[in-house]
Amino acid sequence: MRAGGEDFEFEPADLVRAYVITKGRELPDEQQLSLITLVTAAPQDGRRPARLTPEEQRLLDICSAGYLSVAEVAGHTRLPLGVVRIVLAALAEGGHLLTRPPVPRARNADKDLLEEVLNGLHRKFG
Amino acid sequence: MTKYTANPLLWVLFLVLAAAVLVVVRQRKAAAALRQEISGLREHYTDLEHHYTQSVASAQEQADEATKTVLKSAMRTLQGLAAEQQLILSRLQDKYGESVILQDLLEVDHTNSQFGRRAQSIAVLCGGWLGRHRDVASVYDVVRSAQGRIRHYRRVEILSQVDFGVSSRVVEPVALALAELLDNATSYSSPDTVVEINIRTVPKGVVIVVDDAGVGMNDEERARAQRLLTTERVSGVGGLGNPPQFGLAVIGVLSERFGFEVSVDSASPYGGVRSVLLLPHELLTGMPERRTQPPAASAPVAERVPAPAPAPLARPAAQPAALPAAAAPAPAVESYGSTEDGLPIRRRKRPMAIVPPTESAPYGAPAAPAASATRSGEQTAAILGAFQRGTRSGRAIQRDDANQTTSTRGASSEGHEFS
Repeated sequence: MRAGGEDFEFEPADLVRAYVITKGRELPDEQQLSLITLVTAAPQDGRRPARLTPEEQRLLDICSAGYLSVAEVAGHTRLPLGVVRIVLAALAEGGHLLTRPPVPRARNADKDLLEEVLNGLHRKFG
Repeated sequence: MTKYTANPLLWVLFLVLAAAVLVVVRQRKAAAALRQEISGLREHYTDLEHHYTQSVASAQEQADEATKTVLKSAMRTLQGLAAEQQLILSRLQDKYGESVILQDLLEVDHTNSQFGRRAQSIAVLCGGWLGRHRDVASVYDVVRSAQGRIRHYRRVEILSQVDFGVSSRVVEPVALALAELLDNATSYSSPDTVVEINIRTVPKGVVIVVDDAGVGMNDEERARAQRLLTTERVSGVGGLGNPPQFGLAVIGVLSERFGFEVSVDSASPYGGVRSVLLLPHELLTGMPERRTQPPAASAPVAERVPAPAPAPLARPAAQPAALPAAAAPAPAVESYGSTEDGLPIRRRKRPMAIVPPTESAPYGAPAAPAASATRSGEQTAAILGAFQRGTRSGRAIQRDDANQTTSTRGASSEGHEFS
């Protein structure tokens, strides 16, 4: 707010609102695109389609060098995370983006199984 | 002769004649006086009438002025509140971006934008405040801003873009005028049709063409619309009809005040109305620079893309035209200015990807196998080094995890002991 002058002004909000960027689409469900889903730009032959919005272009730019997690992509933009997810889902639907489910977390080997194998080995050779 | 003079009858006759003449003269005089009086009265009457119309007009003007002043300040308050709410919503969207609330926040934001636009329109008609001062924005963004201010924004499709910016002074007016055009276009066409927007450059500047697939206007409506837009400007909120039709009146006032042209007199190829907003060169600028995150992220990524040839092709045409200086690979620039929070923006030295592109390299499919075939010793060392760093950091994290779990376990068991 500016003191004194006749125009009291708030710091202007974003000109293009987030719901216009998402084009009113719904949030993708968690399985389709979670925070740790990996995304990368689909290989394009030649030029990119011209009818992408600047945000879509930028997201593709960010994803163009290899797989990145959705959370990381969002971190490189000023947009709310959900908005990024919606746009990424739309890009994936349009075939501009490849998604890869997150690498499953490595689990500890089953201790019982190992013991059994060990016992077996002992029986056989020991 | 004397015998006549002696006749009394003659004298009587004379007397009567004299009396008659006298009466006639008198009457004449009276009539003349009356006539004068009448004309005087008439003059007075017209005078009065004139004064009356004048005072009525001035009273009306005063009343209009008073209404305008009241509405203006009322709208100003509403606009301020809408703007404040918009900021709050932006903050909330950032804060709860991960949750499902976001969906609802976006809905509220949409409603708020429409509300703000209504207040703005009334304010414009009352000669009031138009809203916050904006930065230079691209024509495309101004169009999208307008799109966001109407109810059926999902039905609007922008089919083409140009590399021009709109100078800051007219960003808000153009967005508002275009929003009113889009509102008309979407309200007067059936809900399952699309409203198309084409942005084109023409010798006089840039035109924004809005086509709807509605029923169009008849000649009378078209003439009225054109009058509202050009000559018969509405002042105040009187004369908007009932229910009031703000759209064209607002556009007329805005286009006159800020120097762009709007016409709605042609038919769209889909049978509806084609409205055209012409932005002359005086209102245009180059493409605005991105406010935060300048090419820091996108340009180096493109530089590092393994394939040399297709990469520049793949760079989108939407890269701001006014950016060449910044976008050029400046030698050894460590920082690209700072973010909004004052943190320095670092230039990325390696691609952002955590998984480097392999067989499905996005733009570098041909180059990748060749590169792996002739891997230099240095590269091998780098790869092994990266592997080692990776495993080490992985182990470090695991250890941290382990520490945390043990400590929390300890804490909770302590808690149990106390309870």
